[in-house]
Amino acid sequence: MADFDDDYEDFVDTSIPARSEYELNAGIQDRSNQVRGFVSSGRFAEAVAKALEDPPAGRDAQGAKDKNLQVVMEALAAPRGTDIPVIVKQLAPYQLDTLMKFVYRGMAYPEAFNPSVLLTWHEKVTEVTGLGSIVRVLTDRQTV
Amino acid sequence: MSNTLRPYLTAVRATLTAAMCLENFSSQVVERHNKPEIEAQTTKESLLTPVVISRNENEKVLIEPSINSLRISIKIKQADDLERVLAHMFTRFLMMRAENFVILRRKAIQGYDISFLITNFHTEAMFKHKLVDFIIQFMEEVDKEISEMKLSINARARIVAESYLSQFS
Repeated sequence: MADFDDDYEDFVDTSIPARSEYELNAGIQDRSNQVRGFVSSGRFAEAVAKALEDPPAGRDAQGAKDKNLQVVMEALAAPRGTDIPVIVKQLAPYQLDTLMKFVYRGMAYPEAFNPSVLLTWHEKVTEVTGLGSIVRVLTDRQTV
Repeated sequence: MSNTLRPYLTAVRATLTAAMCLENFSSQVVERHNKPEIEAQTTKESLLTPVVISRNENEKVLIEPSINSLRISIKIKQADDLERVLAHMFTRFLMMRAENFVILRRKAIQGYDISFLITNFHTEAMFKHKLVDFIIQFMEEVDKEISEMKLSINARARIVAESYLSQFS
C-alpha cells in the first residue's frame, strides 16, 4: 500500500503553496482584532465576513488553522439567532462555502464551541445554498 | 429540548443526503475486487472529508463518505449509568443481528455506540430518501426507547421493593 501513499502524499492541490504558521500568524492576529472590533460595535455581518477572509486551508500549518478557527467561532457565536438569516443573505456564495466548512469544523469540538449555535448556522446556510455547500465541504481537499 | 433536536436532525438529514451519492467502484489495488472504500481505506483519493455533527458532547454523529460507501456512526445520549448500560445492551442486541438490518455495521467505530455502513449496492436496491429516513427515524426512536426502558425498570424495581418490604410491615 505504501507506494500508493507516496503517489498521493496528502492529496491536496500541490500547486497551492503551503504556508507556515509563522507566516500566517500575523494575519490571524490582525483579523482577530478587527473581528473583535466589529463584534463589540454590533456589526455582526462585517465580523463574519472578515473572519471568513483568506482562511488557512489544505496543507497550511495546523496550528494556524486552530487559531483561525477560534476567530471564526467568536464571530459566529456573537449574533443573536434571529440575526443569523439576515447575515447569511449578505454573504457571497464562496463565503457561504467557507462558512459551511467552519461550521462542520466547529461541530467536531462540541466541548469547546456551542453546537446549537452552529446547528442554527448550518440550517440557515443550507436554506440558501441547498446541498451544494455541504457537497463542497465533503469533496474539497482545502480543509480549513 | 426538542428545539435543539430538530436542527440537529435536519443537519444530519441534509448531510446524509449530500453524502449519499454513491457509485459502483472497483478496487484500485486488487484486481476484480469490489470493496467499500471507506472500510478498505487503501486509496486516499476515493475518500472524502469526514464530518461530525454534534448536538452536545454526548450526542454526535460521524459521517464518513467515500466514492462507493458511506459510514455513519451515532453516539447515543447516556446521562447516567443506567442509560449507559441500556444503550450498550440495546446496541449489542441490534449489532448481533446486523445482517437482518442490512445496513447495520457489526461493530461500532471507536468512540461511538452504533455504526451503519451504506454501500452503492444498498442505494441501488433501496430508495435513497428512505435510507435517510430510516437513519433519522432510528435516531429519534433510540432515545425514546432507552428512556422508556429506563422508566419501566424503575417502575418494576419499585413494585419489587414494595412487595418485598410488605412482608415486614
